[in-house]
Amino acid sequence: MTSFTPEQLDRYKRHLFLDEVGADGQARLLDSSVLLIGAGGLGSPAALYLAAAGVGTLGLVDFDRVDSSNLQRQVLYTTQDVGRPKVEAARERLGALNPDVNVIAYDERLEAANAERILSDYDVILDGTDTFPSRYLTNDVSVWLGKPLVYGSVLRFDGQVSVFDARRGPCYRCLFPEPPPPELAPNCAEAGVLGVLPGVIGLLQATEVLKLLLGKGQPLYGRLLVYDALSMEMREFKLPKDPECAVCGPSPTITEPIDYEAFCAASAGPAREESAVREIGPEELRARLDADEELLLVDVREPFEAEIAQIDGARLIPLASVESRLAELEEWRDRPVVVHCHHGGRSRAACEILIAKGFTAVENLAGGIDEWAVLVDPDLARY
Amino acid sequence: MKVSIPQPLRSYTGEDTDVEADGATVEELLADLDRRYPGIRFRMVDEQDSIRKHMKIFVNRVPVRTLDTALEPSDHVQILQALSGG
Repeated sequence: MTSFTPEQLDRYKRHLFLDEVGADGQARLLDSSVLLIGAGGLGSPAALYLAAAGVGTLGLVDFDRVDSSNLQRQVLYTTQDVGRPKVEAARERLGALNPDVNVIAYDERLEAANAERILSDYDVILDGTDTFPSRYLTNDVSVWLGKPLVYGSVLRFDGQVSVFDARRGPCYRCLFPEPPPPELAPNCAEAGVLGVLPGVIGLLQATEVLKLLLGKGQPLYGRLLVYDALSMEMREFKLPKDPECAVCGPSPTITEPIDYEAFCAASAGPAREESAVREIGPEELRARLDADEELLLVDVREPFEAEIAQIDGARLIPLASVESRLAELEEWRDRPVVVHCHHGGRSRAACEILIAKGFTAVENLAGGIDEWAVLVDPDLARY
Repeated sequence: MKVSIPQPLRSYTGEDTDVEADGATVEELLADLDRRYPGIRFRMVDEQDSIRKHMKIFVNRVPVRTLDTALEPSDHVQILQALSGG
């Protein structure tokens, strides 16, 4: 029988009343360790509730500083925390919430060189990252170390949750074997996210973590929950183990941690090398516009981005509508067309579409409007 | 049959989540979707006619592995995409 202090008996009273938790379960939580990869939208609510529940050791991996644009959803932080390292602010907040919790802060980026070292000390891993490279790295290392991984991801109004444990079911690569090329996958910074959405998903993850630690209920092994906040629907999908999975299948082809930056470069690199898209730098474009060259500048960003900043004379055709609006560009089929977006990824995809449709003089503005703002027009708002 | 479109591809469908399309196989269904929403197929299938590795197509909530999977008019096809946000 574990002995609790009077303060603990009081603090955890509502847990102690539950048969599924009780004194043994609460003692187990206090003895447990959970690693949160990312202390952002998903990590914030998860960390707060896991700390409140008395999970004894919480590891937090995040190299970011608190930004004021985080505060719309990252409820771990206050306005006064802006500019501070996230893990430092989080440790303070969680320590104030529950002194029973030992918070271990990793103010570093998760990468191939440190992932095994960091993950190996923990009972359960919670994936709250906001990039594909760290998501895949977290998955792969969790498989090799035999750790349960509680997965969550969000975008706009949609969220996904599952529990991956390759010893009992599929892993993340059984669901999505490889990350998308950057131009086909918007992130929250580009696409937005409803502030409460990561709250919902992060707490579903925290619920699964507690069930795993307590050994109670039916975890989401082999099941994927998809939440749509707009329709307020939760759909469940069957997720079998992929016999050809590159990491957890019987003949794995990925057997070492894939380096963060290399992975990024690999997913972006070949497309660029094979691409027939010519690139033009901001200064060259400026010179050609100044020389009154007749060219069409096409902006393939979303309308809200154009409201923040735009290059004079650019015609707005968001990437998703390029194919359906080709007729508007017909007269430019054999004349110079320069395409731009925010950083150059979406515009490269748009150039490829135009070239495939027979446009003969298409060029991509390297670095997008952001690089243009840096090199050519410093008065332009950057975002 | 009913087809559910993932959020990142709803710009093709006028932001509609559930749309109608027909086909006796997943391949035919995607071709029909592309006729109705030009360009959407390429977001799901690559140049080698394989389902892109960050997409998953489910029929009645069970994942399909190949485009020649047969479909019935009463099936519900749901398409999911990997989301990066956290």
